[in-house]
Parts: sequence; structure tokens; C-alpha cells
Amino acid sequence: MPDTYLVPEVLAATGRAVSTATSYPVSASDIRKWALAVYYPAQPPQYFIDTQYAPEDFDPFAWGPKSHESFLPGDDSGIWHRHGINQRALGFPEWKFIVSMNAGMKVEYGVRMQVGDVITDVKSCGQYTERQGRNGLMLISQSISTWTNQRGELVKRTTNSGISY
Amino acid sequence: MNVNVGDVVPSFVRQTEFANWNRYAAVNDEFVPIHMDDEAGAAAGNGGAFGMGNLQWAYLHNMLRDWMGPNGTILTMEVQFRSINHKNQIVSAKGVVTAVDGDVVTLDVWTEQQEGTKLAPGTATVRIPA
Repeated sequence: MPDTYLVPEVLAATGRAVSTATSYPVSASDIRKWALAVYYPAQPPQYFIDTQYAPEDFDPFAWGPKSHESFLPGDDSGIWHRHGINQRALGFPEWKFIVSMNAGMKVEYGVRMQVGDVITDVKSCGQYTERQGRNGLMLISQSISTWTNQRGELVKRTTNSGISY
Repeated sequence: MNVNVGDVVPSFVRQTEFANWNRYAAVNDEFVPIHMDDEAGAAAGNGGAFGMGNLQWAYLHNMLRDWMGPNGTILTMEVQFRSINHKNQIVSAKGVVTAVDGDVVTLDVWTEQQEGTKLAPGTATVRIPA
């Protein structure tokens, strides 16, 4: 375990845009499947069966994006980092974490997604901090995901927090 | 809809197991072994497979939507994932109104398991048209 995780490469990453992805158009079938899953075993409300609008927490990237691109020069893997950030391509040391977990999330919602919308995700690094815990020094990292629709309207801005040690 | 500080939102309750988690994996790209395989969950130190934090998030949204009806809108939500959702737990998504400012309502929200341990506490703001 290092003395600190807040090395210059980590501190320099804060605020840096790292990747973008564009979804396939949202379909009514996508919304129905989402609703059936999150209300299971009950039937979802009828307004999600007949709907034009998607619920706030609907995910148009569930089966992968139509296209994606990394902004990081060192990221030539072609892999889409769906829920995280390619820290190796940011030049972070390759720490051997025993545990990495989803610590929390914060979302600001904008306009609703609706059938036919194409959503663009731009992912960036949030703040990095560290804290001493029962299991030693922990790295707390944030990633920020900003979704806009084809009209450029904000759909949602998500800040995910992760803890690794 | 008349809303007042202290109002309790009806709970959204589910018994959680692979049937819930596998369906959610398919709509949120969470085909992760720790959520789908008891051996992988145990190897990660959690006794077996466990539920996704994002599904707790979805249950909190369901709870608010069922309460507000289709004209209500969720503006913000923030939660911390503090405890693991183990297989066969009965998870309840709950909420209580803490502030009302015009049509904007602030709530404490959380999920808890059947013994009352909070899994994911947080806050939310919603807009409920008069």
C-alpha cells in the first residue's frame, strides 16, 4: 500500500474529460424491458408500457453504445469503460487493490429521455481524495457522466463515487 | 396533491434474489460475477452473490414515482451505498418529506432490509405540480 494515492498523475486528472459515447435511438421496447426489470415481479405501471417518455433512471447504453471514443492518448484498447474510467491510460500507478466498491451516486436530472432520442455521454474525472480506514489507506475517486440529447439538452449529470483499498 | 413536512411515502418492497438481479443486469449492463455467481460473491468476501447498488437506486425511484404519479418529476437524488444487499433479503425503499417549497419537495430517502438496517440512505428533491 502506498503512503499516498494522491500522486501528481492523480491530482492532474481532476476535471479531465476522458471519453464520449453515443447511444442507439431509445425505443419503446427498451423502456418496457427496463420497467419490467425494475418492477419485477409486479407489472410496471401502464404509463411505462404505453409511454413515449423514459423514466429518469433509464439506461440507453445497457447493451453498448453505437459509437465511443477515448480522449486519452494512451488509451488505444478500443474498450468502452462503461462504469468507470481507464486509470491506466491516465498514467495512474497500477495499484493492486483488494477491494473496489461503488460507494454512492448523485444525480441531477434535466429533460426526460423519450422514444427516438439519441443520448451522448461525456465522462470526466471528478475529485480524488484519500482517507485512512480500518483496512488501511483508501482512495476515494469520483467519475462524472454528463448525458445530453440530440438537441443538446441536459438529460442528467451523474457523479459516481468509488472506494478502493 | 397536498404534501407536508413529515409525510411518509408508501414503501416500495421487494424480496431480492437472482430473479430480480438477472433481469436488472440485462437493462443496466451489470453482468458482473459478484452479482450473478455465489462463488464470485463469496470470493469477494461477501458470503455469496449480492445485489446491485443501482437496483436499490431504481427501487427508490419507483417508490417516489408510485407516490407522485406520472405528473411528478424527480429532480435530484443522492445516496450512499453503505451495506450489502444479500440474497433473499426483503428490501424496502422508504421516504419522508423534510421540506416543501412551492411545488418542490425535499425528502430523506433510503433502502433498508427486513431487520431495519439501512442499505442506501440519501436525499431527493422532486417537483409535484399542484
